[in-house]
Amino acid sequence: MGRIKAIIVKEFFHILRDPRSLTMVFITPLVMIFILGYSVSYDLDRVDAAVIDQSQGRQSRRLAQAFAANRVFVMHGRESGGELALAEAEEMLRGRSLRAIIVIPPDFDRRLAAGRPAEVGLVIDGSDVNVANLVLQYGERILLDFNAGLLAGGGAAALPLRLDTKVFFNPEARSQFFFIPGLIAVILLMISAMLTSLSISRERETGSIALLFISPLRSREIIVGKTVPYIIVALLDGAVILLFARFWFGIPLRGSLLVLLAFALLYIVAGLSLGILISTTAPTQRTAMLATLLITMLPSFLLSGFIFPLDSLSPVLRALSYAIPATYFLRIIRGVVLKGAELRHFWFEGAMLAVLGAALLAAATRKFNRQRKAAQ
Amino acid sequence: MTGATPAIAVRGLRKDFGSFSAVRGISFDVAPGEIVGFLGPNGAGKTTTIKMITGLLRITSGTVAVNGLDNRRELPRVKRMLGYMSQKFSLYPLLSALENIEFFGGISGLAPRELRAAMARMEQQVAGAILRQKIQDVPPGIRQKVALFVCLLPDPAIILLDEPTSGVDPEARRAFWSEIYGLKTQGKTLLVSTHNLDEAEYCDRILIIHDGELVAAGAPDELLRQKRQASIEALFQDAIREHGQD
Repeated sequence: MGRIKAIIVKEFFHILRDPRSLTMVFITPLVMIFILGYSVSYDLDRVDAAVIDQSQGRQSRRLAQAFAANRVFVMHGRESGGELALAEAEEMLRGRSLRAIIVIPPDFDRRLAAGRPAEVGLVIDGSDVNVANLVLQYGERILLDFNAGLLAGGGAAALPLRLDTKVFFNPEARSQFFFIPGLIAVILLMISAMLTSLSISRERETGSIALLFISPLRSREIIVGKTVPYIIVALLDGAVILLFARFWFGIPLRGSLLVLLAFALLYIVAGLSLGILISTTAPTQRTAMLATLLITMLPSFLLSGFIFPLDSLSPVLRALSYAIPATYFLRIIRGVVLKGAELRHFWFEGAMLAVLGAALLAAATRKFNRQRKAAQ
Repeated sequence: MTGATPAIAVRGLRKDFGSFSAVRGISFDVAPGEIVGFLGPNGAGKTTTIKMITGLLRITSGTVAVNGLDNRRELPRVKRMLGYMSQKFSLYPLLSALENIEFFGGISGLAPRELRAAMARMEQQVAGAILRQKIQDVPPGIRQKVALFVCLLPDPAIILLDEPTSGVDPEARRAFWSEIYGLKTQGKTLLVSTHNLDEAEYCDRILIIHDGELVAAGAPDELLRQKRQASIEALFQDAIREHGQD
């Protein structure tokens, strides 16, 4: 314990006295979240759409009006007036002059009048996944409102609506609400991995790692000593970013901070272990920094569901996404922050983070130990 | 040399990095209580040899025994006998001298009381104000002194010093060698690598290494007599020239 304590104390001194590390840990995340929080927006101002009302009843016209009344949907018809035919609308969709077609089937009114569920088709231009997702969300919200109106009037069956829970808990569909918690997840992983990868590669550069290797310290003692201080630093860092997101961007915190911290702990351990793993192959701090950025940022941005929905990924990439810690923490942070979700909602994600963290820690310890023994 | 088990016994030691051989099958002994100077130009293989003795670098072939223990099979026990001071001193630059001592004492398993005593000993040698500055801000001579102090904290019987006097002024070098003699009187064994040939005079024996091969070994006076040379510098040049002709 005394030996581990010595490393812990030494690491804290290093953290507190190295302005570069302090800047990286506390200022970089704020700058990143500030710039990216503003520069990236998924909000749509306009969705060109058409309604194909094949029912021509009272309810179908009300639904068409509901779409038309929405500020986002800009409804299109024939230039000569009147509604487009389905084939014409599909052609316009291909030419990108329409982004969505709402198809109300012929039996819509009849089924509603009989108290049976009715279906509404929503044909979306899927070439831009983000736009498609938003159109879907906007469309679902209109249907949800419409459904609520029908239910309030009585006599109607529950309509089969597919609710996007993200929209449900974010009624204004503000992209920052999705984006910033995701950004926190990505930044936290990057910073955690950076902390340990730089710490160990710095020791290698200065030669002090040789003195650790020649000391009676076991490899696992070095790793525990290297990890513990950075868990605290990264947790503090996460809290600072979260507070900034809360009070600067107005991101809500609907769930428990403790739940978030518990999962963040697992996530940070995974990140720190990844950093140690990277440091075992990076000969210099510069290489370690570049490798960490590449290994943490790129997959977390592209393959975790942060930017592209996992369902839009190819099977190979989707399989890869299961090995990325951000995939799970992203769901957790969005769930806790936006939906007020609780611990019980994230058993799978928590278990996966624990498994990934343990696997990375084991791999890092093994590689570190092997590297040390390779000398012998 | 005595008939006792050598403190360090190196046999046919070789280190290859790909197709490049940094050390080419060298053999030598260091007797207990001896100061052996390991002389050679930069890149001759001094650091590589010392790192193989400490276990920091994998041996390609050959053996190293420390007090009779094979350093590959008995590394943890061997490590407890060795003190190592690296070429760059390798102290933590943002920690003060006292904090470095506290850290290295801590990882060596020193009890708090022993640590406090060690720090008090250091404060008797160097002003407290200097010892409380970040080590990166103190003169090289003090850094060197602290690095040696740190190396001695676990009280090793055998001390390997890799270029300990590089980058320090002559005054600090003299003081350093005086400390080395002090260690010898305590019964310590020392293998000291250097490219400063004038430091050979401080050693009981010297080993001259060139291009990974030992080109001369013996007591400095004896070697000078044998080779009929007036100075270590001339002896060194002669040994290298002979080696080149081979």
